Amino acid sequence: MQHKRNTQTSFFFGSLIIAFAASAVALHMIASPVACAGDLTMAEFQELHEQLQVSADKPWRTIPWKTAMLDAQHTAAQQAKPIFIWAMDGHPLGCT
Amino acid sequence: MLDRESTFADSEIVNLLKTRFVPVAIDQANQRRQQDTEGDFYRKIAGQGPRSDFNGTTQGFYIATAAGKLLLYNNNRDPAKVRRLMKEKLAEFESSDAARASTAAIKTTKVDERYNARLPEGGLVLRVQAKVLDGYEPTTNRWQSIFQSAMSRDNLWISASEHQELVRGQVPRSLQERIARFHLVDNTRGEPPMWKKEEIRRMDMQLRNGRITGVAHLNTAREDRGYETQLLGVVDVKNGTIVRFDMVSKGDFWGAGAYTGGAPNGKFPLAISFTLADGTDIADDLPPQGSRGWLRGYLR
Repeated sequence: MQHKRNTQTSFFFGSLIIAFAASAVALHMIASPVACAGDLTMAEFQELHEQLQVSADKPWRTIPWKTAMLDAQHTAAQQAKPIFIWAMDGHPLGCT
Repeated sequence: MLDRESTFADSEIVNLLKTRFVPVAIDQANQRRQQDTEGDFYRKIAGQGPRSDFNGTTQGFYIATAAGKLLLYNNNRDPAKVRRLMKEKLAEFESSDAARASTAAIKTTKVDERYNARLPEGGLVLRVQAKVLDGYEPTTNRWQSIFQSAMSRDNLWISASEHQELVRGQVPRSLQERIARFHLVDNTRGEPPMWKKEEIRRMDMQLRNGRITGVAHLNTAREDRGYETQLLGVVDVKNGTIVRFDMVSKGDFWGAGAYTGGAPNGKFPLAISFTLADGTDIADDLPPQGSRGWLRGYLR
């Protein structure tokens, strides 16, 4: 009986140690900027993600482009202005 | 790409477009084909120009009246030329009856659903932007220089059911294949070839504890074009909705397509970012390039 209690106690503390170690590893994976997908690190991900965003003040992005001919026609009719059409293969505001 | 960094980087052209014209940007591959009121109005204008065969491209710059009268067709992006032509045609327009005549707004009577793709209800839009990080030969050519520093833009659409699977911590196979086929592409110099399903040699993405990781290997049967890459990012969920989806793909790309020539020789580093769109950019509303003419095929 005593032997069984000691085994249960050892098992309990052993499990605690394993759980603690697993938690530490999990926390490390979440918080640390070390490699997570081969060579691509969290630090590199953050740097590239920031770098690969279009600046909102690019001149072409400040133009109030419409994306439908009929929408442009309605405004042109209302404001008595000519329509300027930028027609490309692939959408000129995106895609390429 | 070239137009954005040349013609529409010219401050006078930008100012004219903001104040004196109604600017519209379209993928004419849709409008020249679509059998509806939108397509009819475009073909009415383009049909008066030199590119009136709607079986081929009609790309270029057009200036027209609200009644559909063509005033200019030009397919030269040189800012000085475009600026001069815009001023000439503006003067012509303002001295004509068109500037004073009352023109009725055209009523939409027919919509060709094939060319009017809409984001499925409950779905998500991610901005996708790609850039070649290195590998180009140094150049003094202005146009090549623009290509070499270019960053592309497309949108990734995620369906409502895929959205919910992501919320539950799964990356559905359909989404993984869509990312691989239509968004792990080099579209920095023009319209890229998309990957065929059989060209996905490996695509494995996982989502654990808010971190998304993955590996993708793509290449053609002839191995003349490929991309071997890793994916890493962060996904946040709040109240059953994805509120953050930031991811980067970085790997080695090689080869080019029919409209993306001029790639660096051999393997070169290509990075692609994915970001949840917030609707503040007009391009957030555009359908993905890969969905053109066949949304169901893109979303399947």
